[in-house]
Amino acid sequence: MNGNRRRTTNTIEVNFLARCMVGVFLLAMAGLFFVYLKNQQHAVGDQIRGIQAAVREAEVDNESLKARITTMTSRGYLQRKLDEGYIKLEPIRDTAMARITPAVPADPDGILRTASRDPESRVGAGASQRSISR
Amino acid sequence: MRGIQARIAVLCLLLVLIYTVFAWRLINLQVRDHDSFSDIASDKHSIKLPIQAKRGRILDRNGEELAVNIPVRTVTADGTHIKDPAALAAVAAPFLEIPVDELTKKLSTQKPYVVICKRVSEEKAQGMIRAMEGAKLRGLYLEESSIRIYPNASMLCHVLGFVDQSGKGVDGIEKTLDRELSGHDGFRKIEHDRKGREIMVYRGQEQLPEEGADIRLTIDMGLQAIVEKELDATFKELRPAGATAILADPNTGEILALACRPNFDPNKSNDAKPEQMRNRSISDMYEPGSTFKIVVASAALNEGIVDEKTRIYCENGQFSYGGKILKDHHGSGDLSVSEILMKSSNIGSAKMALRMDDNVYYQYVRRFGFGEKTGLPLPGEISGLVNPVHKWDMLTKTRMAMGQSVAVTPVQMVMAMSTVANGGHLMKPRLVLSKGEGSVVRESVPASDAIARKTANFVATALERVVSDQGTAPLARVDGFTVAGKTGTAQKISSHGGYLNDRYIVSFAGFLPAEAPRLMGLVIVDDAPIAGSANYGGLVAAPVFSRIAGNAMRYLDIQPESAAVMAQSGNATTSAPVIR
Repeated sequence: MNGNRRRTTNTIEVNFLARCMVGVFLLAMAGLFFVYLKNQQHAVGDQIRGIQAAVREAEVDNESLKARITTMTSRGYLQRKLDEGYIKLEPIRDTAMARITPAVPADPDGILRTASRDPESRVGAGASQRSISR
Repeated sequence: MRGIQARIAVLCLLLVLIYTVFAWRLINLQVRDHDSFSDIASDKHSIKLPIQAKRGRILDRNGEELAVNIPVRTVTADGTHIKDPAALAAVAAPFLEIPVDELTKKLSTQKPYVVICKRVSEEKAQGMIRAMEGAKLRGLYLEESSIRIYPNASMLCHVLGFVDQSGKGVDGIEKTLDRELSGHDGFRKIEHDRKGREIMVYRGQEQLPEEGADIRLTIDMGLQAIVEKELDATFKELRPAGATAILADPNTGEILALACRPNFDPNKSNDAKPEQMRNRSISDMYEPGSTFKIVVASAALNEGIVDEKTRIYCENGQFSYGGKILKDHHGSGDLSVSEILMKSSNIGSAKMALRMDDNVYYQYVRRFGFGEKTGLPLPGEISGLVNPVHKWDMLTKTRMAMGQSVAVTPVQMVMAMSTVANGGHLMKPRLVLSKGEGSVVRESVPASDAIARKTANFVATALERVVSDQGTAPLARVDGFTVAGKTGTAQKISSHGGYLNDRYIVSFAGFLPAEAPRLMGLVIVDDAPIAGSANYGGLVAAPVFSRIAGNAMRYLDIQPESAAVMAQSGNATTSAPVIR
């Protein structure tokens, strides 16, 4: 009787069981990792969306401000402010002007002047300009 | 025992069958019909989000912004997402500036797309979204949009034009270059969650918009401001039916300033009347009067029919031809070509025309660009009116010589006068310098060579005398510069035929410095309600030209040529001008 009972007892195949458990564990981990990655992907996506929205908002703000600046520095607006006395035009004296001489033609002395506050140089620059235009 | 085994076998078989059916269905859903179900799901949650291309700006030649965009939002509603229209309306109404009742009515819909409000500022739109999120409401969404503004208001309105509600160009450069300015909208295929937020992971195909090109005009706003200011003053003082002023570079054909009165504010185009929107510089034709004498003089000289020394008998002011009497304002005997232009003799001009073959004369009129569109990129340009030779009657030739029986546009006249100024080349007018970054619109090229340089120089010299004390336009003088030009005084044509008494279109077309022209200008004053004895080009238009040209020369920092001016001005302050 005892002999029969011993014969019908199945042995636990530890190796096989371990392999299965490891397989299932790996599969579960892969699944969890997939879910984790997917969540991360969504989270990063949300961050990207947020950043894009912020960038767009900044761009829109920038555009709005630029348009306001353009309007407030337009000739019509400034003229109105001038007429209303909010701003004033001061004439610039001729002696306070720096004239940029033409870049290509040099003066007779061969010196190529770029800018000058010297009245004599200004006359020279004007003369050379006239001679070119003729 | 066998019975139990059979039952187990049947049970197993049933289970296998059931699971096979489930598996089969699963395979059908997940594999075979995957694409179709995916599309259905996608259709439900995905949308093709348009990405609007920014409309290009319009700039002057120095980069000053003339037309720009302000970003705004369009608020739309998805009726299928709205559970409590009244609550949503109560939250959103203050931001949209719509009465709550009215908004509630609009939101009580099942339509998935309803435009609720356009042109909502970014601040208010974002405030509304935050308020909705705070109240845990949904159903209102934002779309990107923009509105076009013209910072200089009415300045340069006839060139810039305006856009309609949808942002499409309706008039001016906005219309003719609409394709370049508009660019191409892009799109992005996205999927959204039940709150309407984009699920980034499922972002699909994306095509970025092709932004509209910035258009750089040849207009110089410094010069434009000078022209506008003077034209405003003239319009206010004389109250004419209309006025036009144009400044151009005679050597390149570039239009530097262009203004017409009456005008309008393109920011409020809905309030503008058609009369205000009409660009008189290209869509109005007028009989040019004596300014047209440059054509007959140039033609006769170029053909060798007359020369510098030829003297023409001007019948002491009364010339009978074709059964009609042709009169000069001041009777003269023999006059040279130069004197005919200086004194603006109708008889002298008519006699020069009569010496020419009809076809040759007609060809010269066409060579100066009359009778065809100049090609300026603005809508509504007309070609003027030059009758072909076979339609001429006996008097046409003599009338044309003094600027009657022919109709021109102001831009045509500017280009014709530029031909004399630049040595005989008829230039094609140019209004656009570049279309977009890096692009350059074809450089200025002459449309044709109308007359020889020698002829042009002679006529130009004669036109300098027009601005002398003996000429018809001493008031066109500009301190420090030699001016060459021609006055024009033409009676207005009646809609019933014939001419209207005491109603004139007066003009002055001139250029300076005469020796090396840098600037060409035309001023036209249409039907100013002033006495006929004072309504002449030399009295009305020439002073306006003088003020514009003087300020323009200072603006352009062109050095005055004192010696030349002394010669032209003489004792101007003491002598009374002879006008015609």
